[in-house]
Amino acid sequence: MFLQEKRGEPHVHVGAVHAPDPEMAFILAKEQFVRRGRCVSLWVVPAEAIYASRAEDAEELFSSALEKEYREPRGFRVAERVRRWMERHGESLPDA
Amino acid sequence: MGNPSQMPEPLREAVGSLLLAMADDEVLLGHRDSEWVGHAPILEADIAIASIAQDEIGHAILWYSLLQELGWPDPDRMAYFRDPPEFRNATLVELPRGDWAFTAVRQFLFDFAEKVRLEALMASAWAPLAEAAAKVRREETYHLMHSRAWIARLGDATEESHRRMQAALDLAWPHALGLFEPAPGEALRVAEGIQPPEVELRARWEAEVRPILEAASLVIPEAEPIYGGRTGRHTEHLASLLADFQMVARSGLGETW
Repeated sequence: MFLQEKRGEPHVHVGAVHAPDPEMAFILAKEQFVRRGRCVSLWVVPAEAIYASRAEDAEELFSSALEKEYREPRGFRVAERVRRWMERHGESLPDA
Repeated sequence: MGNPSQMPEPLREAVGSLLLAMADDEVLLGHRDSEWVGHAPILEADIAIASIAQDEIGHAILWYSLLQELGWPDPDRMAYFRDPPEFRNATLVELPRGDWAFTAVRQFLFDFAEKVRLEALMASAWAPLAEAAAKVRREETYHLMHSRAWIARLGDATEESHRRMQAALDLAWPHALGLFEPAPGEALRVAEGIQPPEVELRARWEAEVRPILEAASLVIPEAEPIYGGRTGRHTEHLASLLADFQMVARSGLGETW
């Protein structure tokens, strides 16, 4: 189940339900995941539709053995902080 | 006609009698649904039926609160300190929870009855009722999705599911027709534009539920409505339901929580 809290935000994986088909999954998930929080959209995706890496491969696949700091987009963190600050203060940046 | 104190006495009685029927239906169905907590077929279904139970009890509080505005006692007193003959619910909602098939069928028949009733009451001449009906109607969208889905799936899934659903429908149908037993004062309510006649609501309801039941291979029984609930005549199941539902409030512990 993927839940979108606000329009324009990403759908975020919130968990899974047992169900025989997408409609039933939706009906059961609505109460599991939207009882209290906000939601404007809910996606149902069958688990087998997700092509996923294995946990035991994480080290080899995703962490750098060698120093490659130059590839990390650190500058963007400032932009992200500016965006959060502006949101907190009720302003928004124009879309990139 | 917004202010209840300006309502003539016979109309106040007539509107109260409708609200009482609606509130009692909701609170008892909510209680029956809540009996599934910890027992539903799967965890997800358990959570969904528990939420629906809470929704129904929330609707009951809303109708009891409107009653209170009309001069009836407060919602807690209404729910916990009346005896079976004082309840005006249709007998459908007092029947034991049965198996999951019965719960699904009863909820389906009730949800659609509530839908047609609310949609009619959204045009009621008494503004507080029209506004409350519009609010509750929004919450019914999910209930309708939920009940329709169970009917569609269990109606003809397997030989056993079909057999159980058909048995549930045979039992529930005449009691569900009792949801449209006119509560006392109907003629006055209709004349004053509070509600359309129950017979009209029943026709709208049948037009909605029949095709869904038939598409799920279920046969609608030929049966006379079971009336009585709206005048306080109930099955033997109401007393045991109330004994359970009212036990804590009547123990006196409520005063010191």
